Amino acid sequence: MNKVIIILFCCLAANCCTAQKKQESVAVTFEFVCKGDSNVLNKSLKTSFGESYTITKLKYYISHVKFVSNLKERKDTAVYLIDASKTNRINVSLPDENTSGFSFLLGIDSSLNCSGAQSGSLDPLNDMFWTWNNGYIVFKLEGTSASSTADMQRIEHHIGGYKGDNKTMREVFLPINNKLLLNKKRLTIQLDIDKYWQHTNNILIRENPLITGPGPAARNAADHAAASFSIKEAKYIDRKN
Amino acid sequence: MTVKIKILSSIFLFFAAALLLISAAKKGYAPTPLSFKIPAGFPTPAINIFTNNKLTVEGFALGKKMFYDARLSKDGEVSCASCHQQFASFATYDHDLSHGVNNSFSNRNAPALVNLAWMKEWHWDGGINHLEMQPLAPLSAANEMGEKLDTVLLKLKGDTAYARMYKAAFGDARITTERMLKAFAQFTGSLVSDNSKYDKVKRGEAGFILPEQKGYEIFKVNCNGCHKEPLFTDNSFRNNGITLNRFADVGRQAITQNKKDSLKFKVPTLRNVALTLPYMHDGRMNNLDNVISHYTRLDTTLTNLDPLLRKKIVLTDKEKKQLVLFLYTLTDTSFTKNKRFAP
Repeated sequence: MNKVIIILFCCLAANCCTAQKKQESVAVTFEFVCKGDSNVLNKSLKTSFGESYTITKLKYYISHVKFVSNLKERKDTAVYLIDASKTNRINVSLPDENTSGFSFLLGIDSSLNCSGAQSGSLDPLNDMFWTWNNGYIVFKLEGTSASSTADMQRIEHHIGGYKGDNKTMREVFLPINNKLLLNKKRLTIQLDIDKYWQHTNNILIRENPLITGPGPAARNAADHAAASFSIKEAKYIDRKN
Repeated sequence: MTVKIKILSSIFLFFAAALLLISAAKKGYAPTPLSFKIPAGFPTPAINIFTNNKLTVEGFALGKKMFYDARLSKDGEVSCASCHQQFASFATYDHDLSHGVNNSFSNRNAPALVNLAWMKEWHWDGGINHLEMQPLAPLSAANEMGEKLDTVLLKLKGDTAYARMYKAAFGDARITTERMLKAFAQFTGSLVSDNSKYDKVKRGEAGFILPEQKGYEIFKVNCNGCHKEPLFTDNSFRNNGITLNRFADVGRQAITQNKKDSLKFKVPTLRNVALTLPYMHDGRMNNLDNVISHYTRLDTTLTNLDPLLRKKIVLTDKEKKQLVLFLYTLTDTSFTKNKRFAP
């Protein structure tokens, strides 16, 4: 009997020890910029094609957030809603200092689109759920532009679609070559909205003021959005170098 | 040593008991489970909608109260039940299009709410991918209930009766989107009609009269391909040859973005069909005679027409009447008068 209890205690103690060897985590901040200038909301901006525009709403979902490593990665099943009108910081565990990069899914798994009522970031209250053609919006950009031919000169890009060919979730991988970046356990990911308009198939506001359902235009916009991310090189790293 | 162990174990027991007590107090409720019975002869639903939404007496009661609550609409005049009337098998009786707030009209005929638990996609175009998400569409549509989701929740929070009912159903009085939608689904998913004369005949409790029996034979040859027994729908989307309406409603195509889906609509169940007039997605046909004539007069060479309708349906006037008499046997008054589903 005594032995059994001692063994049990040993097991418990061993568990505690391993639990204490917690992986370090990195505070990852998501920022929105336009051609390097921070803050993109309610400012007069211009695309590389000379189209002036203003953004009033900009938000997107990410999930499967992780640092890529050869070691066993801790799976993060959480879904985060990144919103330009808010501060967006999440803690991501760092399994390995030699990580090759940071990765996430822009969007959410297909199954989460048809799992019924959900709370938290997937609460339909966040206004990222289509009620007439069910599914979550992956990437939402709203604003106005003199180039827009739509009612009230609006831009409404509600990019989504989770079925078959119309999937809009995109894997994003951002390599980390400068490992010093991780020394302060902080990392900043930037979405440069200027890059959203120009990529493989340029998006012209006058041609595409409204993208509000799954389809080819949404797929293309999703490709563009996924290509708009980069890791911000922190200034203190520059000084050290 | 043994004393120490005793002390340790009693401490352990004390904490275990405390933990149990705390969790019991936190739950502090025991909703009464409600079983969802699959009627004899019915298939097992492809998806069990109650797996992650345990059906309970309290959850069902909450869903029902909200279903009948017109305050949830923008002007306080329209409830779910305004367009889904129990006596019409939860369709809108004798209205082609449904009325929304501010004297608006919807573009579609309110479908009957029957055996929803067997569907995989809801609405005429299948745009709804989970029964729990369905209420968001009519609640927010400007030509239906026209209310914003956050306002709907505020209205629910403003009524202490709801606080009590949410607590009874979910353990605490928090009113959230998820809980609201799950409670709605407990009510709507429970709307099962399985006790028509047809069902009684199938169970050996009644017999068809001769014209009904003849009508059943005609049905099996000509209609059963899409309106498959015993649900009287195969829940597919088909183009049955109806023309584009004034709203340019292309149906399924709007959901899939696939031109092949042009003018495809959900095959509606025929259960209680005598009560769900008028017919088709926009209520363009006033009676069953018109519907049957549509199929007998159909141009079977139409592009995009469903393959099952390529074969000409030929019926004499007598046969048409027999078919209608059979369809009348699908009326289930124990469903349309069931007090469990009434306000």
